[in-house]
Amino acid sequence: MSVPLRRVVLVDDHDLFRAGVRSQLGPTVEVVGEAGTVADAVPLIKELDPDVVLLDVHLPDGGGQAVIVQVAPERPGVRFLALSVSDAAEDVIGVIRAGARGYVTKTISGEELTEAIQRTADGDAVFSPRLAGFVLDAFRSGEAAADPELDQLTAREREVLQLIARGYRYKEIAARLHLSARTVESHVSAVLRKLQLSSRHELTRWAAERRLI
Amino acid sequence: MSSLAGRFAGALPRFERAERGRVVAGVCSGIAETLSVDPVLVRLTFALLAFASGAGILAYLGAWALLSAPEAPQPSRTRRITGAVLLVVSAVLALRGLGLSDRVVWPLALAAAGLTVLSGAIPGGLDDRRARIGGIVLVVLGAAFFLERNAHGSATTLLAPGAALVALLLVVGPWAWRLSRERDAERAERIRTQERAELAARVHDSVLQTLALIQRGPDDPRRVSTLARRQERELRAWLYPEREPAAPGTLAGALQGAVAEIEELHGIRVELVRTGDVEADERVRALVLAAREALANAAKHAGVAEVSVFVEASPERVALYVRDRGGGFDPDSVPADRRGIAHSIRERMERVGGSARIVSSPDEGTEVELDLPGRAE
Repeated sequence: MSVPLRRVVLVDDHDLFRAGVRSQLGPTVEVVGEAGTVADAVPLIKELDPDVVLLDVHLPDGGGQAVIVQVAPERPGVRFLALSVSDAAEDVIGVIRAGARGYVTKTISGEELTEAIQRTADGDAVFSPRLAGFVLDAFRSGEAAADPELDQLTAREREVLQLIARGYRYKEIAARLHLSARTVESHVSAVLRKLQLSSRHELTRWAAERRLI
Repeated sequence: MSSLAGRFAGALPRFERAERGRVVAGVCSGIAETLSVDPVLVRLTFALLAFASGAGILAYLGAWALLSAPEAPQPSRTRRITGAVLLVVSAVLALRGLGLSDRVVWPLALAAAGLTVLSGAIPGGLDDRRARIGGIVLVVLGAAFFLERNAHGSATTLLAPGAALVALLLVVGPWAWRLSRERDAERAERIRTQERAELAARVHDSVLQTLALIQRGPDDPRRVSTLARRQERELRAWLYPEREPAAPGTLAGALQGAVAEIEELHGIRVELVRTGDVEADERVRALVLAAREALANAAKHAGVAEVSVFVEASPERVALYVRDRGGGFDPDSVPADRRGIAHSIRERMERVGGSARIVSSPDEGTEVELDLPGRAE
């Protein structure tokens, strides 16, 4: 099975970190451009039109969200994968709600990051265990849901998220739940959509509380 | 400008004519901008005052003469004095328009003119000493005039103290307003400075120390990664206190403590994900100890750098999973002398009414599931 070569733009204000990521990525990913600020990143991404943008949540002149908001309307084909050292729920939720397809922490291995980029480029959602934990937290029952379609997780989605939080990979989850890998991915994508569109109190609060550190 | 008059003038808000949003000469919008109010309000005030024998029109002309355009030099001295006189005359007209008799209005006008000179609103031409003397003379004249005219009491005398108070407020008000704004700004600056100092102290005590330790022994990768990991944990706890509550009385706090110990002892990385939290009673503490043992086993036998822990806690049930992707083993063939699993994990959970399940295979690693039902059962 041949894996297509993906064109990637790195946006992070630490040169050292960008160099580290570049050296770790597998042969199926080509870094076509790099930027360290929102102001540099926006025109660069518009010009290069890459498959995936690896985006730091914290940038000196705004944040990952600012880049997504300015690029997405003009380049709907570009997909964003957020990368951060932050564990703060409001950072994670904020960037996902702005339109990122996933969120991974900077301690991720090169191999896993390459896989995450491939998955992002395919339009799938990428959930780290920690993001899965946040989502389970945010969608805990108890609060009356205004829109059950968007404000609640199905039992299957919850199950998939729990397994991600436990450290399982998609393939392992599929085997364990006797599903196809495709079905697991569609569950995760459905959760991502809910995360972006739901008006659940916890999500709007986290998004609103986003602050600079 | 260290004199009293100078300091007083410095405390006054600095009015300017506005360039943007002006209708005639930018007087109203300039005043509105300085006072942070709607320009319409200021325009309306001038328009209403115009009905008092044209006081509003005179006041507008006076203000135009007195105020400089932005970034333009101060208007000439003659122009400033003319402006001030026009303002005083318009004030007199306005007060008369409000129904105050001449006996009250003229003394007030004199006193106001004196206070204006004292406040340094017309600086420049006059030196401080002469301005001060002139101002005091005007105020005294106004007071004397007032007493002379009002020696025989009448109904309007009762109004006089009120009018004087209004005049005083007009003069002192802006000054007090400016002072309070300055105090707020100072306080904000002080808080910022404190925060910066705290941050510097924190970075120095922790991050810089760790970096120094790492530079001293860079050849021991395990030590370096242990140091880095410990530093990361500390920094996170400080940066995101709401996410890392670490209250020792809760499951989250106890578990974080156990995870930190294992990371230190064995030089592995533990990815801890948690939803919900419960109070740490005796049973929960037993669960944490069992989890700690499972982590220690993974660190010693799995041969991996990272172990995942996921805990889902609610009053009805606490479920905890410790998972590694290491070599795995056959749980049934563990020799009896390896007491860890049987004693520290399974028996410990069963004693508090919970259970432990261990799933392991050579290619998928090991997962230990700990389950603790709520106390009600």
